[in-house]
Amino acid sequence: LLDDPDLKDIDPTILKHCHAAAATCILEAGKQKADISAISTCLEDCKLDKERIEQFCTEYQKNKDALEILLGSIGRSPLHITDVSWRLEYQIKNNQLHKTYQPSYLVTLNVENSDSGSHPDVSFSCTMEQLQDLVGKLKDAAKSLERATQM
Amino acid sequence: KLNVGVDTVQHGVEGLVYLLTESSKLMISEVDFQDSIHVLGFSDELNKSLLQLYLDNRKEIRSILGELAPRLPSYHSLEWRLDVQLASRSLRQQIKPAVTMKLHLCQNEDQTAQVLQTDPATLLHLIQQLEQALGEMKMNHCRRIVRNMK
Repeated sequence: LLDDPDLKDIDPTILKHCHAAAATCILEAGKQKADISAISTCLEDCKLDKERIEQFCTEYQKNKDALEILLGSIGRSPLHITDVSWRLEYQIKNNQLHKTYQPSYLVTLNVENSDSGSHPDVSFSCTMEQLQDLVGKLKDAAKSLERATQM
Repeated sequence: KLNVGVDTVQHGVEGLVYLLTESSKLMISEVDFQDSIHVLGFSDELNKSLLQLYLDNRKEIRSILGELAPRLPSYHSLEWRLDVQLASRSLRQQIKPAVTMKLHLCQNEDQTAQVLQTDPATLLHLIQQLEQALGEMKMNHCRRIVRNMK
């Protein structure tokens, strides 16, 4: 913003004030999910002329959805699962025990942290029965979600 | 009470332990066991007792040895909860559904619980992927390998 040739004649301090004011206005409007009429009224009270108000509102409308998505993603939440990978293996022997002959699954849940964006994945092993238990519980959660959306 | 030195008793016990753990580890058959101890030159009666001892304790010894193998944290259970986020400090008037879960894992007798969250779309994806994983054991490829590796 400070490098823009069109704005180089304006005092940089004033430019910063304007930028901050505009940003605050936009963020508040976004946070409150204000509609166009509310914004217009607010800007009228600030003694902006009609043309400027219209320009502002049009630009705001264009970017409203992106703004809401951005604001919605700010905030703390538990580790978020983004994907899962699995591996099926058949154990034959280990150094403590031979002829084990056991199938086992290795499941890795890829997780994301809302703050830093990376976190060691959660990995665990399980038997077929345990995996069935896990899938059963996840399906219960999904069914419950479906019922909730139909209410 | 046995009227022998401490060392002898210790060696005896150690020998017995080694015999039983090695036999159980390798899961040797009765015939192989008998052949192996035959070379020690004990009486028939003693050999029979040893064989019985092996057969009676084999399963338990194997399950204990199984605990010593390298292991990753294993699944214990899962609790879940349906949440809908209605507002946050940065955005009001939201409707954001989420599934919050508590994953219980065991690692070497310690139980850990981890709180995780996911959105509905990812939940369905997880279910689909894990069901595919379960289905693999029933496929011909896996069945053939399990059959042939006995």
